[in-house]
Amino acid sequence: MKQFLTVFRFELLGFIKNKVYLISTLIICLVAAIGLSLPNFVDLFGEDQQEVVNGVAVSEEEYVFALYDPQHYVYDTPTLQATYPNTEFKLVSSVEEIRSMVEKKEVDAGFALKGPLEFEYYVLNSTLMDMNEQTFSMMLSSQYRNQQMQNENIDMQTVNEILSAAAVSESIVLGRDGVGGYASTYVLLFILYLMVLIYGQMICTNVASEKSNRSIEILVTSVSPNALIFGKVMAGAVASVLQAGLMIGCAYGFYQVNADAWNHMLDIAFNIPLQTLLTFLVFGSLGYIFYSFIFGALGALVSKVEDINTSSMPITMIFMAAFFVTFYGMFDIEGIVIKIASYVPFSSFMAMFVRVSMSTVSTLEVLLSLAVLVISTVLMGVLGAKIYRRGTLMYGNPIKFFKALKMIKKKD
Amino acid sequence: MELKVENLHKSFDGQEVLHGISFSIQSGKALGLLGRNGAGKTTTIRILMDVFKANEGTIFIDGKPFHPSEYKIGYMPEERGMYPKKRVDEQLIYFAQLRGIKKAEAKKEAQRWLDRLHIKEYEHRKLETLSKGNQQKIQLIQTLICNPDIVILDEPFSGLDPVNSQLLKDVVKDLIQEGKLVIFSSHQMSYVEEFCEDILIINKGEVALQGNLHDIKKEYGYNRLVLNISKYTPMQMRALCTAELKDIVDIYEERKDCFILELKSGHTKLELLNTLVGLQLNIEKFMEYEPTLTDIFVLKAGDHA
Repeated sequence: MKQFLTVFRFELLGFIKNKVYLISTLIICLVAAIGLSLPNFVDLFGEDQQEVVNGVAVSEEEYVFALYDPQHYVYDTPTLQATYPNTEFKLVSSVEEIRSMVEKKEVDAGFALKGPLEFEYYVLNSTLMDMNEQTFSMMLSSQYRNQQMQNENIDMQTVNEILSAAAVSESIVLGRDGVGGYASTYVLLFILYLMVLIYGQMICTNVASEKSNRSIEILVTSVSPNALIFGKVMAGAVASVLQAGLMIGCAYGFYQVNADAWNHMLDIAFNIPLQTLLTFLVFGSLGYIFYSFIFGALGALVSKVEDINTSSMPITMIFMAAFFVTFYGMFDIEGIVIKIASYVPFSSFMAMFVRVSMSTVSTLEVLLSLAVLVISTVLMGVLGAKIYRRGTLMYGNPIKFFKALKMIKKKD
Repeated sequence: MELKVENLHKSFDGQEVLHGISFSIQSGKALGLLGRNGAGKTTTIRILMDVFKANEGTIFIDGKPFHPSEYKIGYMPEERGMYPKKRVDEQLIYFAQLRGIKKAEAKKEAQRWLDRLHIKEYEHRKLETLSKGNQQKIQLIQTLICNPDIVILDEPFSGLDPVNSQLLKDVVKDLIQEGKLVIFSSHQMSYVEEFCEDILIINKGEVALQGNLHDIKKEYGYNRLVLNISKYTPMQMRALCTAELKDIVDIYEERKDCFILELKSGHTKLELLNTLVGLQLNIEKFMEYEPTLTDIFVLKAGDHA
């Protein structure tokens, strides 16, 4: 136990003092802090730039559009002015003129009307955020409908009231709110995915480095392999939980401060129910430790750090498959696939967490999955320590995982 | 304290690499563990350190079964093993703590050794920033920081300049004087000759030779003699050996100041001396030849062994 604690302390300090660890934690915390405070900054510095028209904030940024409208379907109409309040429309005499003006950047974009419901939209570079075409289209439709109703002597207000009538509903969720919990579950699942991959690789690299620089020769003659691998894995677990905790805590704290400025838009991601959080911590930690033992053992099977990728590829693939099964299971939370996945130790720590978070799972099922995961983690720890002990003093070509399993059956 | 190893056998993947190694060593003595690369030295050491289990054989200390965890053992492997990217003081303390030394004591001992080996200024530096020789000294401190009862040194002098070699020699001599049990493995025979009273040569997993070095040298030099005739040039010496002495000796080695001669079978040293006296030569040197350890090593572990 004393040796385990010595290894644990040394490895933990190694993680925490690592510049990459410190800088990445700092950067992510800063990004979270700045990102979540952004609406407040906008409120502080952007107030003067906005004008409120009829209770709606309107950007003062001005646009210039070219308009080819020989029949004057929309030119100079109140509808056009209301739809584009800060926009100047330059009436042109041909489509070619629009093209030329857009290409020369004399205008931001151009519209060429071919009929009351038909037009072409000209823009130099299209972007996902460009809504001009849709806005113009809606305006044309609306104007056309109004015109036709006027021609038919139909009361527009009555029609609008009829068309805008909506049914009022309230959903009463008796179990878990899968929709509401989706965002927080997704965020936590993704954090877990990153933690296992990043720290698993770090533990693997750490072990391989010790083998590569031969410090393992001293270590295995001074301390038991169990104390070594358990110390490393637990140090990695604490370091990762600490890092994730700092990042989540920082994001949570800054969101709470700026929640009003966000109009409580992100409550869905940040207001995580205690039960979800506890499940995440218990299952997440166990799953993380389960994979860390595998990564630690894999590190002992290579002699050079550059062989790690080849050695860890199969387990990385298994882990990624488990992640995607869980991820797609989020869209079919009562499906058989995620139910099976929630009992397989390679995926249960993610799948059961997702199920608990987004649906109703009986306590018996949770306990059964937890028991399987605990037993698997302990077995993986014992197996990992044996592979580690056998692998650490074997140099040369990387040893295949299954060969290592055969090796441990044999006597030392 | 006496460490006794009896009949060690070890196999890897069905192939036996140690075929019954036996030896013993007492405190206050150094055992020179010699052998060619792959002879089984490191495997023997790892079995001693309980890293590998022997398939057969026993290890006793003072007549009781030897459990390495009950003793402080300092091990300096041939492949130097420490953390290049960590600070010297941090890792020295870590390795000491792993061997059960308290942090404060480990710190004090680290300071003392750094001071003794004249590298105190490097204590806060990363290991990789030190020269090879200084890294070697740090490795030695790592070995000795826990004040071990048993010290196993595998090629401790490789890469050291003469000044640092002398510094380390003094340390090793002190260890022996302090009554430590020292196992010294090296291919630099001069160091083995300097420190070790006993040697063990392992060849292809078997004990090729073991015992007191002085006795071994005496035994292996029995039919060789050192001869020099006053004012004789090498050419005259060669002529003498290949003419008047040709029935009694062969030339084993020509040196600047003497010839090493090997007696032919059936002839004695006295017969040779009588012949030389009969030739009325001015004999400057006539003595038994003591072979070097290298001679013995090549004989017992060379290709023709």
